[in-house]
Amino acid sequence: MLDIGKGPDGGIVIKGRLDAAQAPTAQAFLDQVEGTVTLDCQGLEYISSAGLGVLLKTQKRLLAAGGKLRLTGVNRHLQDIFGYSGFDQLFEIEPAR
Amino acid sequence: MTASQSFPRSFDALPAIFDFTSGEFARQGIDPRLLATIDLAVEELFTNMVKYSTGTDARVLIGLNGIAGGVEVTLTDYDVEPFDVTKAPDVDVNLPIEQRRPGGLGLHLIRRLMDSVEYEYSEASRQSRIILRKTLAGA
Repeated sequence: MLDIGKGPDGGIVIKGRLDAAQAPTAQAFLDQVEGTVTLDCQGLEYISSAGLGVLLKTQKRLLAAGGKLRLTGVNRHLQDIFGYSGFDQLFEIEPAR
Repeated sequence: MTASQSFPRSFDALPAIFDFTSGEFARQGIDPRLLATIDLAVEELFTNMVKYSTGTDARVLIGLNGIAGGVEVTLTDYDVEPFDVTKAPDVDVNLPIEQRRPGGLGLHLIRRLMDSVEYEYSEASRQSRIILRKTLAGA
């Protein structure tokens, strides 16, 4: 399952699994955000290419409007996926502590 | 010890597929550190089968087998045209964001994350078979 919503500090918090079945839910939420947005990935256990597509589409839209999507709390597995995908060149990524 | 289960050709089958992989990892004593990588590879291949082999309603068979230091997974797709996943073009991940498209990343990731990927096709039975292997040594 996937849970995405606004966090206490104004950022976006995403938890669970961002797979092909959950990607439309995440996309629908992220289509509503504007400006420079922090996505807290501390609770994101899993992402597939469908989830990467959601992040890429959101980043393109925000960059075109002068904003961006920042990814924080990124675990080792997700860092590997982002690295192999070249997303480490497209996003500001802060690893999990 | 091999376990297999068939799944309907629908994205809605993904939760059941993940239940199957995690259940077999636990039952066969396979290192859980490999689970997310295996789930990713299985999801990418399964969703490709759902998206691109639309001329059949046949269920997709997924087999999972613990091997020394890792796991072997087999996906069998019935009544389909051949598509050799090992020959799909690589994605240029160094393109600027304006030129990046999400398509093709799934197979690109599988080739980097798995120790080996094999593809077999039977003309007689119109059957595609993909065999993945992953060990902790290759992690």
